Amino acid sequence: MTTAARARAFILIGLLPALLLYLIFVVVPVIWSSYYGFFSWKGIGEPKYIGLGNYVEVLRDPIFWNSFKNNLYIVAYSIFGQVPIALVLAILLTRNSWIQKFLRASIFMPMVLSSVVIGLIWGYIYHPQIGILNFLLDSVGLSSWKAGWLSDPKVAMFSIGPPIIWSNIGPYLILFIAALQNIPGEVNDAAKMDGAEGFRKLMRITLPIIWGTIKVAVILCISGSLKAFDLIFIMTRGGPANSTELLATYMYNNTFNIFRYGYGSAVSTSIVILSLLLILGSQLLMNRNKNAL
Amino acid sequence: MRQLAMSPASSAQRGSFGWRKWISGIITTGLTLYALLTLYPLLWLFISAFKTNEQFFSNPFSLPSSWQFTNFSRAWTVANMDVAFLNSLIVTSISLVLTLFISALAAFVLSRFTFRYKPLIMGLFLIGMLIPVHSTLVPLFIMMKEMSILDTYAALILPYVAFELPIGIFILSAYMTSFPKELEDAAHIDGSGYWTMFLRIIMPLSLPALSTIAVLAFLRFWNDFAFPLVFISKPSLKTLPLSLSVFADGYGTDYSLTLAALAMSVIPTIIIYLVFQEQIMKGMLAGSVKG
Repeated sequence: MTTAARARAFILIGLLPALLLYLIFVVVPVIWSSYYGFFSWKGIGEPKYIGLGNYVEVLRDPIFWNSFKNNLYIVAYSIFGQVPIALVLAILLTRNSWIQKFLRASIFMPMVLSSVVIGLIWGYIYHPQIGILNFLLDSVGLSSWKAGWLSDPKVAMFSIGPPIIWSNIGPYLILFIAALQNIPGEVNDAAKMDGAEGFRKLMRITLPIIWGTIKVAVILCISGSLKAFDLIFIMTRGGPANSTELLATYMYNNTFNIFRYGYGSAVSTSIVILSLLLILGSQLLMNRNKNAL
Repeated sequence: MRQLAMSPASSAQRGSFGWRKWISGIITTGLTLYALLTLYPLLWLFISAFKTNEQFFSNPFSLPSSWQFTNFSRAWTVANMDVAFLNSLIVTSISLVLTLFISALAAFVLSRFTFRYKPLIMGLFLIGMLIPVHSTLVPLFIMMKEMSILDTYAALILPYVAFELPIGIFILSAYMTSFPKELEDAAHIDGSGYWTMFLRIIMPLSLPALSTIAVLAFLRFWNDFAFPLVFISKPSLKTLPLSLSVFADGYGTDYSLTLAALAMSVIPTIIIYLVFQEQIMKGMLAGSVKG
């Protein structure tokens, strides 16, 4: 074999396992589900072609749109909860003393836990009878504030916020600390010489410099929020009365509880399209903002 | 990836005024309170795991009046945690080895060779990072049902590896691009083939990047819930998160048992976290700036 032929053979063999696995288990399912969306199928028997029926039903189902709205709630929790908290903490935690390292490590900690564990722990916190939140309210004399945190449809979606924010601050904190530590020392020195300090320096110098990172964080919030499933599935399964239903739990319940595989596929495809639109839209919006500034 | 470190000289409080020390003291106290608040749910879990059910009801905040170590042994046998631990260990380790080897090989080809469809293939892998994993649950379920690999380890391992490949290839090929071009020349003079070069030179040199990917992938595989939920129904194949999830279904009236099971399941991840903290943080950073 010539050298060129040997190189070509190696390229082929080197890429083959990755490409095969990736195509079969990531790309093909996405395409296949858009195709299955055209059928009515209960998992057994012949799938029946029904054209756009499933897709029309998805778009007309108020529960689907309510689920989408709940996904947007999670986006909001992330953007207005995680990002500002992480940013404030990062500004205060850029030094490398042992106490700061310890604080960073503690705040990052929940990130490595499984969502099943997080969901179960918070389930105990919110539990109507034995939950520590209601116990705490009782013991400080605020019994009237007690609620069925996860069982009351009016409250449930708000109760989802704290566990999500609690468990996801870590990566944003690290992202912001890295950005802050990347600011060259000269900038800080120059700011000092010009008498810019404290809050003024923060608003006029630090924040504008890391603005790009903040935008990355917002985009991450959006794409990350679309992945929410486990936590809600464990805590509420989308209930009560669909009040905490997300796109992913809606898809799960329709497919694996009432066995509508065709409809579930149509929902899956809609999720992919909505996600790509949201991510694309947020990227565009963020870039336009940059030009406007 | 830049080290999370900086020169303290420019930002350190000089303490030339007394009130500055006060402010920094107040800030540190506030931060410490916040960190304790963050850790509290976990702390509560470990403390409560030692209580009897009665103690757990009467005061959820107190320390156990008698430490019930039997909760743990009971949880271990009643909740079949030995089986779940073993399954999680098997699935995670096989997926991990495959992810590292396959993505390193592909990254080696994509970063050190030039060929026609390279940008196309690179782009294809990058798109994969945008696809929400859960949107593939239904089609994967149908597909693997027809391949009759549902309810096997393969039903978890294959999709895990496939979904971890894009980020693995992305991190590794960025890392390998930085190696000097002379590597190939030296290998050619040696007369060693591409495989020898990959195994003997590239893999050892890429260890830092490989370890970053390994800890991230470990956490993802070990903690994953959605895939086993949909693809596994045999009790003998349930992984740890899946077997814990039964406690969410109202099975959990034996609270001390549930909490002990939860506490045990958390221990491996906490150990991994304490040992590989830096890699985990750096890896998440690398994973997040990909977008």
